[in-house]
Amino acid sequence: MTEATPTSVAKRPFLGKIGEVPHLGLVAALVLLAIVGLATRPENFATSSNLVSILALASTIGVITVGMTFVIIGGGIDLSVGAVMALSSVWATTLATQSYGPAVMIVCALLVGTGAGLVNGFLISYGRMVPFIATLAMLVAARGLAQRMSNQRTQLVQQANNAIVELSTTRVLGLPLLVYVFALVVALGWILLNRTTFGRRTYAVGGNPEAARLAGIDVRRHTMLLYGLSGLCCGIAAVLIMARTTTGSSTHGDLYELDAIAAVIIGGTLLTGGRGTIIGSILGLLIFTVITNLFILNGLNTSDQLIAKGLIIVVAVLMQRRGALTGT
Amino acid sequence: MPASPPDTAPLLAMRGIVKRFPGVRALDGVDLEVRAGEVHCLLGQNGAGKSTLIKILSGAHQPDEGEVLLNGEPVRLATPTAAMKQGIATIYQELDLVDGLSVAENILLGHERASFGFTRRGETNRIAADLLRRLGHGEIPPATEVGRLPPAAKQIVSMARALSHDARLIVMDEPSAALAHDEVANLFRIIREITAQGVAVVYISHRLEEIREIGDRVTVLKDGRTVAVGLPATTPTGQVVSLMTGRDVEYVFPPRPAVPEERSEERPEERPEVLRVEGLTVPGVFADVSFSVRAGEIVGLAGLVGSGRSEIIEAVYGARRASGRVLLDGRAVRPGDTTRSVRLGMGLAPEERKAQALLLDQSVARNITLAGLTRYSRFGWMDRRGEAAEAARLIEALDIRPPDPRRPVKTLSGGNQQKAVLARWLVEGRRLLLLDEPTRGVDVGARAELYAVIRRLADDGVAVLLVSSEVPEVLGLADRVLVVREGRIVHEAPAVDLDEHRVLDLVMVSTNEESRVD
Amino acid sequence: MTQNTGRRGFLLGGAVLGAGALVSACTSNEPAAQPSAAAAAPTTAAAAGGNDQPGTQVTIGFSAPAADHGWIAAIAKNAEAAAKQYSDVVFKPVEPTNDINQQISAVESLIQAKVDVLVLLPNDGQQLNQVARQAMDAGIPVVNLDRVFPDKLSYRTWIGGDNYGMGVAAGHYIGKALKEKGVSNPVIVEIQGIATLPLTQDRSKGFADALKAYGFSVTAKQDAQFTVESGTKVASNLLQAHKKIDAIWNHDDDQGIGVLAAIKEANRSEFIMVGGAGSANAMREIQSGSSVLAATVTYSPTMASSAIKLARLIAQGKGMSDLTENEVPQSITLASETITKDNAATYLPLGFES
Repeated sequence: MTEATPTSVAKRPFLGKIGEVPHLGLVAALVLLAIVGLATRPENFATSSNLVSILALASTIGVITVGMTFVIIGGGIDLSVGAVMALSSVWATTLATQSYGPAVMIVCALLVGTGAGLVNGFLISYGRMVPFIATLAMLVAARGLAQRMSNQRTQLVQQANNAIVELSTTRVLGLPLLVYVFALVVALGWILLNRTTFGRRTYAVGGNPEAARLAGIDVRRHTMLLYGLSGLCCGIAAVLIMARTTTGSSTHGDLYELDAIAAVIIGGTLLTGGRGTIIGSILGLLIFTVITNLFILNGLNTSDQLIAKGLIIVVAVLMQRRGALTGT
Repeated sequence: MPASPPDTAPLLAMRGIVKRFPGVRALDGVDLEVRAGEVHCLLGQNGAGKSTLIKILSGAHQPDEGEVLLNGEPVRLATPTAAMKQGIATIYQELDLVDGLSVAENILLGHERASFGFTRRGETNRIAADLLRRLGHGEIPPATEVGRLPPAAKQIVSMARALSHDARLIVMDEPSAALAHDEVANLFRIIREITAQGVAVVYISHRLEEIREIGDRVTVLKDGRTVAVGLPATTPTGQVVSLMTGRDVEYVFPPRPAVPEERSEERPEERPEVLRVEGLTVPGVFADVSFSVRAGEIVGLAGLVGSGRSEIIEAVYGARRASGRVLLDGRAVRPGDTTRSVRLGMGLAPEERKAQALLLDQSVARNITLAGLTRYSRFGWMDRRGEAAEAARLIEALDIRPPDPRRPVKTLSGGNQQKAVLARWLVEGRRLLLLDEPTRGVDVGARAELYAVIRRLADDGVAVLLVSSEVPEVLGLADRVLVVREGRIVHEAPAVDLDEHRVLDLVMVSTNEESRVD
Repeated sequence: MTQNTGRRGFLLGGAVLGAGALVSACTSNEPAAQPSAAAAAPTTAAAAGGNDQPGTQVTIGFSAPAADHGWIAAIAKNAEAAAKQYSDVVFKPVEPTNDINQQISAVESLIQAKVDVLVLLPNDGQQLNQVARQAMDAGIPVVNLDRVFPDKLSYRTWIGGDNYGMGVAAGHYIGKALKEKGVSNPVIVEIQGIATLPLTQDRSKGFADALKAYGFSVTAKQDAQFTVESGTKVASNLLQAHKKIDAIWNHDDDQGIGVLAAIKEANRSEFIMVGGAGSANAMREIQSGSSVLAATVTYSPTMASSAIKLARLIAQGKGMSDLTENEVPQSITLASETITKDNAATYLPLGFES
């Protein structure tokens, strides 16, 4: 190296370290939102019950976001998540399913979700369909099937199966059980992505499928499993939405796919695959949830929320690009 | 005030160019001077700063210091478009053509002939056809989709695009890398024609013999600095190599192992057969290919681009569906099931390193361990410490530089990237390595190291099947050579019994056939 | 849930068929008093007059939005059930759709088929006005259901609910209750359906106007998209925004399930809640007396049964037997009725399953 470098070397550690704090921008955005909340509604925002409520709201879609993160890192996209969640919730709350009790209802939701996900995966990896198209087809079909099964009615969780609703009403240490379910899914997702061969293969398959194949990874099988995993997350989310709303309905999860994808992208995952984190996705989602909360606390309407969401997506992606440019 | 030369100002002069990236000084005072009508070769090892310099010249990067003069006038090349307007066109190593557009549309991309937003197709095609004819390739139909063309034809299209801008200076980044022998000759003919018209060419290649053949003058870069400006191309190779590296030989092959006479089981022909290929056929690509590779043996496949040699390697690996049989230690490879091939003990270093082998965003360590995840895990749980230790060991064993396992692999030079790909397969139980163009885009210094690594592997009993466009490489490295022509093995001989001319004769269509294949 | 459904196969179990319960006759002057539940064929006041006597055979074309909501589902079911009652009616429904374009071509196909009379619940009155006018011009009378066509030449008769009246009913109920309690400056929260729809705006206006009579006003309002899930989300956020609430009016009983779930989760009960539309589920909740849901104001899908009956009479050239006029009136607006614990039993058979 030359004599000119020492200065730049001396500067680098400091700048470098700041760059290495993961998701700095996202955390900053959350802090900013919290400041806005404290400034506008000091008596409501920082209360524990409001924070619990934000977490509970984030739980359902949060679980879906974990699955979506895997799919997108793996180089795919899953548009069917909202519809698959609706289908799982409907299937699990039919009279026939309900007659077997809450355990069977939960298993049913998980199986239906996983099954739909595996069908997606099969179409994409072995049927060689484009993920966008295959999951779009699943979105439409699953909603339709959910409507048919429920006869377009909202199906209530019966009193006998109230154990499911208790996921939402029972609190441990001040938090509803479903928040723990959410936390558990995030933790397991993080471990799966960062500490297992499955996670490693996910990055490889998304980053360079040809290289992964030539390195002996069964790319098709792995792709199928990724969609199955996303489906499983939809099944779990279906259980949570049943707990929260006390119903199964074909209208559940409308446009969840867009919220989940947006959260994942804001969280720094590349839409082209190969790079991303669970934590980033969850932070992205929390930003959305806090915004909704802030708007309602301040009595603003849905249209304004939508505008804000759009702006945030654009700003977040722009900030990431800047980060990427200065980072390398 | 730069003092102009007394006679004429050079077409292009770059003075004291400095370019910093975070933590790196990619260029640290580079000078370059190119005259109209000359072929100016830019030499340097990977990482010497050639790519950065080209990017500054093409307007993709802005220099932090220094000036660029065109015909003596300082210019600012703020964007690629600005550079193009100044008459500087660049043909990149990874051709930047749009596969889905036609030849003509690609050639006129960015300055389409259109009225009111509607492209004038007839005119577009006519202009394209004229340019292609000027390049001696009137047979490339302007309306064809570029994606359907072979690499050599794509190269021509790129060049036509550069000419379409009325370029005064054309930068060619490794234009011959994807070309076979006779296509290179054609490329040189075209370069001579366009320079005769006063256009200057900046030519970058790792093949020193090409530079002797086509170049007028040479500029050598080392570690982001110019170490020699405007040497005559007749400068002895040894001198050029030592300027680039400090060494003075172009190819350094490790010695073949001496045959131990006393222990017969150690003799090559007595060693166990690792790979057996029987009647391998992919209709239209290659047919009835049969051969075998023994443990510890390096077998080279020599042939032109398009002769089917890469396809044979892929089929052996199971990455391409083919009929016939491939046996590894007597066990059959299943077409399409690369997972099984890897489990049986095969490894492949594919031709397109970036597209087929590397996870560019990921760390060196993760790239190394990609093929052996199950080795570094228990019940799917990664043993991260074991993985890191193994990666560090391999990085040291192969001398991958910089020796930082966590560095993204895309920041490494071509040679070190190739070492990372090889490292992936340097694990116990590897029986056969398939190497497709292992030294493409690798500089002279790193080549010698790669050759040594490959020979060491063979000495450890691994069977190696090697494909290379560079005949000296095949002859120098392999023990036995198979010559492939038009999808068939036409000759087989020990490497020591062949020389470069004989092999070139064999890979080309034999002389008693009148027609030449383009 | 409905009790009349047996346990079917796993897959078909979802098909809850409770529609039969909804059929009733609202052309009658008396509210359907008999609590004859379940699939029993409705025998109401119409039987008393001569209107139910078989007449000339008529074909009734029917088009409505696709059911993505309990209320709309009930509309379709009610219409079909009402048509089935008459031997002289051929019922010709077209594929329900939420796409304006498709509904237009569906109606066009019914005009081509030369049906005798059309019953239309348009996705959007403005956008389907043109095609309804075409039908009228072709001599096919149109019975406009609920969402009104702007042009009076586009329909023969309109029958629908009273959105403004719903708001008024809810406002009066809440106003009176809070006055009796002696609350001053109450916190009143309104959870709307889809805020951009005129019907939502009418409801909100009626609600505000009625509250004004008591000197009250709405503290906060949010829209919840008519879905259960959105109801939960909006309600739980609103409950956070307002630590003490005196009354909630929720426009729609379907999304109300979600609202009630959120209230239960937050463990809040200091307020009274009024629903909207009149689902069977809401009525049972009111009847139980243990819920914050104290009342609901109707916007009954029984209007579809009535629309079919009106269409039949129009096609047969008859008037309504209980009225003096020889022809069916030009418009009929259903009254929004208030269902409380006291009268819930009476209304339950009319409630639709969400």
